[in-house]
Amino acid sequence: MSKKLASLLAILMAFSLIAASCGDDDDAADTDTDTDQTDDGSDDGTDDGTDDGTDDGTDVGGATGGEFIDGGTFVGDPPEHIDPHLNSTLDAYQVINALYDGLTEIDASDPANPTIVPLVAESYEPNDDASVWTFEIRDGLTFSNGDPITASTFQKSWERAADLAGDYSYLLTFIDGGAERLAGEADTISGVAADDETNTLTVTLDAPYSNFDAVAGFQLFFPMPDAAIDAGAEWENGVMIGNGPYAMETARTDQEIILVKNDSWAGDFNGETWPDRLDRILFVTQADPDTAYNALEAGEAMNANIPPARVADAQESYGTTLDVNILGSYHFVINGRDDRIGGDENLKLRQAISAAINRPEINTAVYNDSRTQSTGITPPGIPGFAADICDYCAYDADQAQTLFDEWVAEGGVQDGPIPIQFNADAGHEPVVQIIVDNLTAIGIEAEAQPFPSETYFSQLADGECVICRAGWFADYPTYDNFMFDLFHGSALDGNNFGFQSEEFDALVDEAKQTVDKDAQAALFQEAEDILLNQETYAIPINWYRGDYAYDQAKVTNFPQTNFGLILWEQITLAG
Amino acid sequence: MPSYIIRRLLLVIPTVFFAISFLFLLFFVLPGDPANLIAGGGDRNPNPIRVQQVTERYGLDDPLLTQFTNYWGRTLQWDLGESFENGRSVNEILGARAKNSLRLGIWAIIIEVVVGISVGLYSAIRRYSIRDKLTTVFTSVASAIPVFVLGFILQYVFAVYPNKHDWPQWARLRTSLIGPPGSGDGDWFFFFIPAGEQWRYLILPAFTLASVSTALLARMMRGSMLEVLQADYMRTARSKGLGERDIVVRHGLRNAMLPVITLIGLDFGAVVGAAVLTETVFSWPGLGSAIAGAVQDRDLPIVLGLTLVVVIVYSLVNLLVDISYAWFDPRVRLGDSDNR
Repeated sequence: MSKKLASLLAILMAFSLIAASCGDDDDAADTDTDTDQTDDGSDDGTDDGTDDGTDDGTDVGGATGGEFIDGGTFVGDPPEHIDPHLNSTLDAYQVINALYDGLTEIDASDPANPTIVPLVAESYEPNDDASVWTFEIRDGLTFSNGDPITASTFQKSWERAADLAGDYSYLLTFIDGGAERLAGEADTISGVAADDETNTLTVTLDAPYSNFDAVAGFQLFFPMPDAAIDAGAEWENGVMIGNGPYAMETARTDQEIILVKNDSWAGDFNGETWPDRLDRILFVTQADPDTAYNALEAGEAMNANIPPARVADAQESYGTTLDVNILGSYHFVINGRDDRIGGDENLKLRQAISAAINRPEINTAVYNDSRTQSTGITPPGIPGFAADICDYCAYDADQAQTLFDEWVAEGGVQDGPIPIQFNADAGHEPVVQIIVDNLTAIGIEAEAQPFPSETYFSQLADGECVICRAGWFADYPTYDNFMFDLFHGSALDGNNFGFQSEEFDALVDEAKQTVDKDAQAALFQEAEDILLNQETYAIPINWYRGDYAYDQAKVTNFPQTNFGLILWEQITLAG
Repeated sequence: MPSYIIRRLLLVIPTVFFAISFLFLLFFVLPGDPANLIAGGGDRNPNPIRVQQVTERYGLDDPLLTQFTNYWGRTLQWDLGESFENGRSVNEILGARAKNSLRLGIWAIIIEVVVGISVGLYSAIRRYSIRDKLTTVFTSVASAIPVFVLGFILQYVFAVYPNKHDWPQWARLRTSLIGPPGSGDGDWFFFFIPAGEQWRYLILPAFTLASVSTALLARMMRGSMLEVLQADYMRTARSKGLGERDIVVRHGLRNAMLPVITLIGLDFGAVVGAAVLTETVFSWPGLGSAIAGAVQDRDLPIVLGLTLVVVIVYSLVNLLVDISYAWFDPRVRLGDSDNR
């Protein structure tokens, strides 16, 4: 048989097999359909929700062309919570912030000097010692379903926040009676009084707090409609009703969250309603950072998070928010309760460690210079910020060597390498490796100790931290959002993994109560000086910068505030 | 034959029961307190009040046996519970993801069968030819390239590069559901054949998912066919004067297909339930990546609910495979043991 004939035969056989296999596959398809029908009960719900909603939305978005496809906010997992009373992540806050407006808002138009301005409150004022705050609520405001927003809406919402006991519910303890309500020992929060006649909300605090106006605008204090109070923790799995510039189109799925323009929105703190704002925002969950970036490059998504290795490419090809200084700190903390590293006798060892770390190398090698080398924990842009607070944050191997030698001369002995801990598979390995190399270079034994991401923070809170990685984005522009929430004794084994100093706590407490801004700043700076220099229990590494890239051919304005929040209502699309 | 099928179908019940029960019990051996993790312990130190609420809500302080019987009681009514992490109904998540996984899986298997068998067959018939050798090299390379590397290369070549150079972009990367944004679930013929743009989104992940199995299948087909080609009955067929086509298709192929069919059946379970890498690289909302994510988050109801379906699908497909043995090899008599 000729070669040609043999080739022909093989092709023919292949085709006959295709036919045969298609027959098989029909069978397989039938089987699959059967299986599908078996889960009819479950499928129905999904189909209805997804199909109906998406189709409706196409009509709206397609007609006006004002649809934004976000591929940069949810990378890895869909958000765990999108209920403002449960959420504690910045990612989900992007959605929540589009859905809800709070009593106050941060005016970050001057990034170096963010200020707190009234939003749902028409005005507010504290008493002389900042222990009682009175908010006058704007008249005539409603949720997107028409439910009115009054002073008592806030009162009921905050009680709901106590019931749900989300991660931020500790903020309720700032209010008189909040701790009791949170513990279930009271029916109401005794410090909150609402008068719907005058639409006035009076909040008596547990202790004077001069920055309460900033906290009052945070998600835990957002107003919620009655339906949310009835639905409890289930609320976030339905169509959440809010009072922000956007409303949910359909219930979330683990693949997407769809928001549409809320036509009844009252506008931002300037009264600006951004009438030409996007009609529709589609948040798509991307499984992997590189895939998400590829989706931007393939013209599918309009934005993406920039993976560190793509920084240069992003700067060349796209618009980025890399120039936005985010009010967030990437640092390591030291557990004062660990004998190997804590206590006065190990102060010089801690200082040596901090001084030995080559921060510029970390920033270049790991982050492609997409972050700012830090000179303290509290970043610039936070009122009261002072540059160069930290005496041991500039890379100085000689200073580190001297300090370490002194520690050894004073009797310090290492009985094994000090573990440097981090959550595995989250990009921290190269940072810790550089640190270990830096320490080894001056004779300090150290080793990387990855913990599973799933249990990392629980393990730290259980006291397992020795030198452990942490990071924090400011919730609101206050110095205490760093000093109190991360390092105060009352946050011990919460966000504080082992720093205990009565002197520090006293300074922070006093600063929180101080109304005079300059005096307050001085007290906070003094506290941070204790943390970083006098006792050295925190090792600042860098301050975050924006990490979004967006397709300039499609998006002409993509504003990110220095809190990391995208101002969705101010996004504009090309032509 | 019908009694065989019924007996095999009944066997699915203990298979599912033991597989799922094993996973259920395994969950309690994993490190980390489930209540703590569900309350958010993976990202931070959770609020103790919330941990308490979670414990009560999901009955995590009940004795293990009570939790176990409660679970099966609900599952028998096809109530798969709700996600520990965000309270969403597992039935809903399953409904959306099972469809996606099956569609991707079916197309990967089609590619695997068509390409794998054709290439294997050709190689066997043209043994030691240049093309056979090239095929060997090609299949070795295809089975050696990690799936995520291939996925990224395909994305770049067929989606990213054309977009950057304003070329026609015939393959797309999904950003929403499968298909253009806002197209919802799209229209499908016979459940899995895309009626519209969906094929652009399906093609790259399907090829990626099929790559390794296709190469293995081609190798196996070649080996199996070579063995059959040398069998006595093939010589007999030739000596009877049968045409080469008849010899290869009717005698050779049918005999050579048995091990290949087994591989395809086993593979179906993998492409539907364990396509984690492909699903991750392409952000494909299927079962594999959801199960993998849920295992990390200790989200037991999702792990169990989704695995349950994978086990059922897998069992049914393997039943089909066994039945197909009889079609390929008439000597196989299903259920005959009863009559002996």
